[in-house]
Amino acid sequence: MTIDRTLAIAHRIIIQMLHDRRSLALIIVAPLVVMALVGLTFADQRDVLNRVAPALITTFTLFFTFVLTGVSFLRERSQGTLERLTTTTVSRGDILAGYLLGFLLFALLQLVAILFFTIVVLQVTYQGAIWEAFVILLLLTVVSVNLGIFVSTFARNEFQVVQFIPLVFAPQLFLAGILVPLNQMPRYLEIIAHGLPLTYAVEALQDLMIRGNSLGDELVQLGVLAAFAVGFFVLASLTVKRT
Amino acid sequence: MTESTPEFGAVVDLDQVGFAYGKRTVLDGLSLQVQQGSIFGLLGANGAGKTTLLRLLLGTLEPESGSLQVLGESHPLRIARRIGYMPQLNAIYLELSVQQNVDFFARMFGMASSKPRHSAVESALKVVGLWDRRDDQVLLLSGGMRQRVSLAIALVHQPPLLLLDEPTVGLDPELRATFWDHFRELATSGTTIILSSHTMDDAAHCDQLAFIQEGRVVAQGSPAELRTAAGGPEATLEDAFLHFIRLGQSQ
Repeated sequence: MTIDRTLAIAHRIIIQMLHDRRSLALIIVAPLVVMALVGLTFADQRDVLNRVAPALITTFTLFFTFVLTGVSFLRERSQGTLERLTTTTVSRGDILAGYLLGFLLFALLQLVAILFFTIVVLQVTYQGAIWEAFVILLLLTVVSVNLGIFVSTFARNEFQVVQFIPLVFAPQLFLAGILVPLNQMPRYLEIIAHGLPLTYAVEALQDLMIRGNSLGDELVQLGVLAAFAVGFFVLASLTVKRT
Repeated sequence: MTESTPEFGAVVDLDQVGFAYGKRTVLDGLSLQVQQGSIFGLLGANGAGKTTLLRLLLGTLEPESGSLQVLGESHPLRIARRIGYMPQLNAIYLELSVQQNVDFFARMFGMASSKPRHSAVESALKVVGLWDRRDDQVLLLSGGMRQRVSLAIALVHQPPLLLLDEPTVGLDPELRATFWDHFRELATSGTTIILSSHTMDDAAHCDQLAFIQEGRVVAQGSPAELRTAAGGPEATLEDAFLHFIRLGQSQ
């Protein structure tokens, strides 16, 4: 892996994203609109809002990064630039690290906006240290970037990337403890839920926000998320050069 | 195992190379040699195997049989730094400016230090006549200009071997002539150029030609040699091409 190549790819992704003003606006505005609706819906039920808000924040993080990376990488394949990259001296690691770095920036922007809105405007309970929330959510971003690149291998066009959204997200939405807490689910669903990355991110963020835990209390969740990140990184690097 | 050293000046040496996509044979015992500093044209119909052949020379595909040497290396991806490639699709980033595109690919070739890279980008863009348009976003450029950006990317790391996949398709006659002026200049300075085409206009500009049909070379030589072999000095290159292709079909 070489730093200059990684930085060049990250820089290129940032330029490309900055040209796509509408997508940029959407990754900030869309989560805020949903968050505002949820805030209004549960205005009288603070405990429900306190439980749902951290779950939604993690879902947005996973969702937008996944879609952006998936579509960007698909374009890279379909417009032939990936083939061209394979004829240069760039490595798989450079490409993945560059994508990660580029999209981390936009994930970070989104997180700042959502967390500010949730905690300051909606007044959702936040007990822990804010920087600790960033650690959890940026780790989830790493999972998401690699998942997006991996899944884009199986899509031939943008429509198919969209088709993967329900496949990847519906199980996580229903099983990650967002709608129903994990301990109220049938045993077999609980087992499935523990095979999904979002479950651990939601758990960790809820613990931080509602219970005031610190990262030290969430080592299992962080460890599992890191394992997912590494696992998807390996899967993505196996498929990254397939043009 | 003994590896034959390519004879002096042979930049590319293919011997009985075979390749198939699954069960579909694309290259069928193809042999050819390309000398340094020459412009070598791969002529053939769509689907004849030209792009596959270029990908084997790049190393993104590997031959299933036969032997292949590119600049003395049997795994060309190891010498990626010495090969410039212009794919059939322009394969450039539309959101980036002309200069950003060329600069990006220069960095992908490991040109990390910025001063020599900037001068390499500048000279590549001057070759294709786009230095004055360097800040334009590619999205706003015409097809021919995008093709020039793509060519500049292939040139930026100053490789001794250029592989160009149908570089003149869709160009207007004036731009086509400009491209050929560039190719001739590069060849004169020692760069070897292998390009694919299916037009006789391109063929006439090449030093050497290989007519390719169904993954085999059906005839090889200079344009003059091929015309003579096909029926004498009055025969056109098109006559020669059709002559050899028909001969290949009847075999």
